[in-house]
Parts: sequence; structure tokens; C-alpha cells
Amino acid sequence: MNAVLILLPVAIVLGAIFAALFVKATRDGQFDDLDDPPKRILKDD
Amino acid sequence: MSACLHCGTAVEGETEAFCCPGCAMAYEIIRGVGLSRYYAEREACPPRPEPASGSWDSIPLETGPDGSVATRLVIDNLRCASCVWVTEAVLQRTPGVLGATVSYATGRASLRWDPAHTSLAVLAGRIAALGYRPRPLGAAATPDRDLTVRLGVAAFAAMNIMLLAISVYAGWWDGMEPRWAAVFRWATLVLATPVALWCAQPFFAGAIAALRQGRIHMDLPIALAVALLYGHGVLATLSGFDGYLDSLAMLVTLLLAGRMLEGRGRRHAAEAALALASSLPATARRETADGLETVPAGELRAGDRIDLGSGEEIPADGVVLEGVGEVRMALLTGESAPVAIGPGSQVVAGAIVEIGALTVAVEQAGDDTLLRRMARQLGVAADRGLAPTLADRIAPRFTLATLLAAAVTALVWWRIGGGAVALAHTVAVLVVACPCALALSQPLAAAAALGATARRGLMLRSAEPLLALGEIDIVALDKTGTVTGGTPTVISGADDAIRIAAGLERYSAHPIARALLAEAAARRIPLPAAHEVVEVPGHGISGMVDARHWTLGAGESGEICLADDRGDRSIIRLGDRIRDDAPRIVAALQSRGLRVALLTGDHAEVASAVAVQCGITEVVARCGPEGKAEWVRARQAEGHQVLLAGDGINDGPALALADVGIAMGSGAAATVLVADGVVGYPALGPVLAGFRASDAARCAIGRNQRRSIGYNVLAVLAAALGLVNPLVAAVLMPLSSGMVIWGATGVERTVRQKEER
Repeated sequence: MNAVLILLPVAIVLGAIFAALFVKATRDGQFDDLDDPPKRILKDD
Repeated sequence: MSACLHCGTAVEGETEAFCCPGCAMAYEIIRGVGLSRYYAEREACPPRPEPASGSWDSIPLETGPDGSVATRLVIDNLRCASCVWVTEAVLQRTPGVLGATVSYATGRASLRWDPAHTSLAVLAGRIAALGYRPRPLGAAATPDRDLTVRLGVAAFAAMNIMLLAISVYAGWWDGMEPRWAAVFRWATLVLATPVALWCAQPFFAGAIAALRQGRIHMDLPIALAVALLYGHGVLATLSGFDGYLDSLAMLVTLLLAGRMLEGRGRRHAAEAALALASSLPATARRETADGLETVPAGELRAGDRIDLGSGEEIPADGVVLEGVGEVRMALLTGESAPVAIGPGSQVVAGAIVEIGALTVAVEQAGDDTLLRRMARQLGVAADRGLAPTLADRIAPRFTLATLLAAAVTALVWWRIGGGAVALAHTVAVLVVACPCALALSQPLAAAAALGATARRGLMLRSAEPLLALGEIDIVALDKTGTVTGGTPTVISGADDAIRIAAGLERYSAHPIARALLAEAAARRIPLPAAHEVVEVPGHGISGMVDARHWTLGAGESGEICLADDRGDRSIIRLGDRIRDDAPRIVAALQSRGLRVALLTGDHAEVASAVAVQCGITEVVARCGPEGKAEWVRARQAEGHQVLLAGDGINDGPALALADVGIAMGSGAAATVLVADGVVGYPALGPVLAGFRASDAARCAIGRNQRRSIGYNVLAVLAAALGLVNPLVAAVLMPLSSGMVIWGATGVERTVRQKEER
């Protein structure tokens, strides 16, 4: 049961890293346009 | 017989590959950059290229740190994915361009280029040469990244808190050592802290901003609940009992999601209106002592002499000194047919020279022109302010009732069980009273309905006109450009006459030429070759077809007459045809119990002919801009709620005055700016779709509000009786919000059902 004392903070820190990546992706504009990129890959030359 | 390689127009003879030099040039450009496979892949043919007019020099540009410049354009006429792709690829392969993207969804282009190697005018010219129409786009509504980030963080925290909360609640039954319960509570507090202190910040900001103005906004009870929940949560964690932090995280996440959906709908509508309203600033060619100079229209002064050619927009009000031509003033008068003018004729800014060469003496320029004066009046009239939503209106009473219930609960439980019990039950009352579902009820349903109308071609500015549609009892329609197409079309004429006339007009950009070419294409008549074509402004066009000399000129009103040198004559009738869906839509509106009226500046006979065709019984003919506004005002004084749909700037005052004003997107820019909504494509159907979506939205909002108020009353009663603990709250709150979200998703379904019926 004592493993929880280590696992819980580790889980939260890991989660926070992904949350931070999400924040960075949003600030870089990755979520600004969700309609075009899926169509664009079909037309790439 | 063959088809034009670029635009697909049928052409007689095997030798000709193109119908006009514009198409040949477009083909050269596309082949020149190695994109020939566009012709194999496209699903729709582009329109025939027409020369672009106006000035690209004074468009505001963003300058990057490396000296490159960028701007955004709207491109009209993009018809298929291949159109978007070829436009983008041609731009990218133009020397000097550093980056070019064209959006498939919206037809917006973002361009970045090196000003030393190319210019916006060149790039716009390339787009126009392909047959698409570029227009400048004002400042972009940037997506709210801040809200997305807050929502993402809140959702992350909420989901993790949920996992921890399930363990803690499981411990209520299976038993849990106090130290493990404390570990989970502290972990919950760690995750909930950013949610309460940072993610929920927009609600605190909204509540404070409203309080500063002396108002109580829906954000206030929400902000109070968040503050209370967090304060109580900290206290609970420190002293070792269960708080409501799981409910807090869930609540903030749902509210942020609602706010984001609402903002997205509003931004789409604003952007659509902006795109329809943007047009090129005009320039003028001014005569000086040593020739002509090109100046922005704003620099013209009374007394200047300016030169104008075919296709140009008149930049100032004035009087014609020399030359003859035809101008189209649809923007101002709603009259679609070009008017012949000559020396001594008055012209106004905003009119377009269809054909001819004119020298004009400027009388009024810049802000003094009729166009600008009318646009200014419209701007003043349109300043209506934001009406509070129903949730905002009940917010003060709601807050008061909640505080009262909390006070009573605290007092009663203090008497029964003392301080600790009273605190627990009072907090429970305040927690379940949080009007999360109520705050979500209107924005979500309205966002769903705005999306439903936008998909059907009506872009409404906000939820207010949408809801106001439900109160409307009179629908007033402008004739030209609203009930009718607003451009001349061929009503009758023999195939032979159409063939020769279209052949003569194949290189012309005159509206009558467009009508003839469209008719020839519709009847699948190939265009014959024409030689020695001479176009005389105000008179007509003549040339050789099939080795005979033909003259095409004006006949009786609404007719053109085709004659040859041997005396053969035939008549082609032109007219402003009513929109295909007009009779059906008018009937549908009338069957809803709406009174439909036709307003027009035209003669009574023309007006009643149109009215009969589409089943309208009430006709108000011969009324100008003031007349229309007066009519709307009179109906409103009788207690009616009026919807007006119109296009020209002459409808502007009435549009601004009407309870709901809808501009047809093809109309004047100023009209689009004052209207509550814009119809994005040439049909009346979107107006009916607006009514249907309004019904669905008001029904959903009413149902949502009844449900959420019912939930709040029951939950507060339960909490006051001491039946609510953190687990009950954690289940109830998302359930009530989920119920409201479910109610909002039904809007699109309801609209579709109404359409099928």
C-alpha cells in the first residue's frame, strides 16, 4: 500500500507533463484550425 | 464542338481550345507552374476570369521580423477542393512568395511574401486570372487559445480528481485508514488548486466587471460557488473530512466548455459577416497638368477631374463631363439593370461603370459622398447594445433566493445540531444551488441553433436575433436582390438568337453578356466564333457571326433586339427572375401564420407581377429608403414585430430599424454591417431555416431552463433537509449539466425534422 505514496505523485507529475504539452500545443496554434489539415494531407504533392 | 479547356463553356469548331483570352491565360498560368493535373482532378469548372478592379496598394499588411509582409484575403468562387488546391499551389509557386495557405473550410487565404520580389497586387492578379475573386479581409478574429488552455487544464484535473474521489467514496463503505484518506484528499487539493485559482478566473473577472457596473451577472453566483467550494475544500483537507473539490473541478470544466462553444459560434458569425462586408478601397485616376496620376479615393477634392473605364467603381460623387457609358447602381438603388449616362449625368460613389469611358468632375469626395453618409447613418442606427440573456435577468433573484435559503438552513440547523452540522448543511445548500446547468442552458442551445442556421446559409450575429425571430409576425421582403435574383437573366428567346447573341458577347463583361452566356450554357448551345466585334456603350454590340453582320441593341424595356444586315430581327426578353425557391418559402412563411409583404422602390405593375408569382398579397410599391423605414416604423407602432430582408444600401435604414434585419450577402457592404444576420448564398430558404432553428432553440432553452430550475429547487430543498453530502453532489451536478447539454444537442435534430415535414 505504501507504493501509493510514490505512485500517486508520479502519476500526477506525469499527467502534469502531458497537460503542459497540451498547453504548449494550444499556444503554438495547433488547435486554431481543426477543419483544414485533415483535407490538406489528401492533396499534398 | 468542343469545350473551353479552362472554364468548360461549349465552343463551336475544333480549332478553338478556349472561349476567351482570359481562360487561355489561366490555362497558361496553371500549366506554367506544373499543375496540369488540376484539370483531370477538379470536380467543378471555375468561372470565366474577369479583370480585377480597385486598389491593392492601401491594404494594411503585417510586417514580419525578417522584412517579409503578410495579409489575409477572402477568395470568392472557390467551388471544389481542387480549386482550393490549385489556387494555393499557384500562389506558392509564384516567385517571391514565402508562404501561402488557402482554407478548405472558409476560402480564406493567408499570404506571406517578400516585398522586394512581388506585391499584393501581383498575387491578387494571379488569383483573379484563374477566375477566382480575391478580396481583402480585415483583422481576423483570433481563436481564444486562452480559453482552450483553461478548459484543457480543468478537464485534466477533473478527470484525475474523479479517480481519486472514487477511491475516497469507496472507503465510506469498505473502510479506509484515515492516513490513506488524507493522502487522497491532499492529492485532490493539489489538482483542484489550479482549477479554482486559474481556470475559473474568467468567471471571477465576469462577476467583478458586472458588479463594477452595478449589475448582477450569472457569473456572480458561479464565482461565489467556486470560491466557497475551494475555501471549504481547503478547510476539509486540513481538518480531515470530505469536501466538494470533485464537484468543483467538474463544474468549472463544464462551464468552460459551454463558454467555448458559445464563443466559437459567435466568432464564426462575426467572421462570416466581416468577409461579406470587406471590399477593396477604391482608387481614382486624376487628371493633372502633366497627365494622369493614381490616387486613393480619399484624396480626391471637389473640382478634380477623374477618368473612369469599364469595370471600375466610381470613387466619388460628381457629374459626367465627357464620354458615354452605362453604370450599375444596384448597391445604392437596388436597381439591377445598368443605366445609360452621358455628359451632364450625375454619378454617385459606389456605382460601377459597366462599359464606357468617362471623365467626371468630382463634386463630393471621401466622407461627404452619398454612400458614406448613408453608411454613417446606418452605423448610428445599428448601435443597439447587448441585451442580457434570460439567465442574466434572473441572476439577481436567483442569488438572493440562494443566500436566503442558506441563511435559513444555517439558523435552523444551528438550533438543532450546533455549529459543525450547520456549517456542513449550509455549504451543501450553497453547493447544489450553483446555477451551473442554468448558466449553460441558453448558450449551448443557442450555439447549436446558430450552427444549424449557419449550415443552412444564414449567419446570425448572435443569439439575440435568433431568439427575436420567435416574436416576429410580419416578414417584409425587398424585391430586387431578395425575392428576385437581382441580376438580369434571359426570360425568353429563340435558340438561334441566343447562340448568335452569346457569340457576340463572349468577350464582354457586361451584365447582359453574363445573362446571355449563362443562358447559352444552360441550353447547351456552343458559342460560335465572332469577328469584327464593336461594342458601343449605351447602344449595343455588333459583329460578324456565320459570315453575316449582326447588331445587338436595346429594344423595348426589358428586351434586347438582334438584327442582321438583311433585316432579320429577333427579340430576347430579359428580366429579373424571382428566385427559384421564393414561392415555396413565401408559402411556408405564410403557413406559419406570418404576414408577408413585398417592399420595393419599383413601379406598382412590376411589383405586383412579382408578388403574384410568389404568392404575396401585400405590396408596397414606389417606396425609397425613407419610405421603407417609415413603413417598418408604422408597423412597429401598431405593435407588430417586423423582420426585413433586403440587400441594397437603400434598405439600410429600414434594416437597422427592423426587429430583425437580414442582409442578402450579395448586397452592399454597409448593409451587411448593420444587419442582424446575413444570407450567405443566393436563395430565400435560409430565412425560413432561421425561423425553424429559432423555434427549436427557444423550445430547447425553455425546456433546459425548466429542468435546471427544477433541479436547483429540489436539490436546495434536499440539501436544506441535510440529505446532500459530497458524493450526492458529485453525482447530481454533472447529471443536471448533462441533461442540459443533451437538451441542446436536440436542436439540429428538431430543425431537420421540421424540414422533412
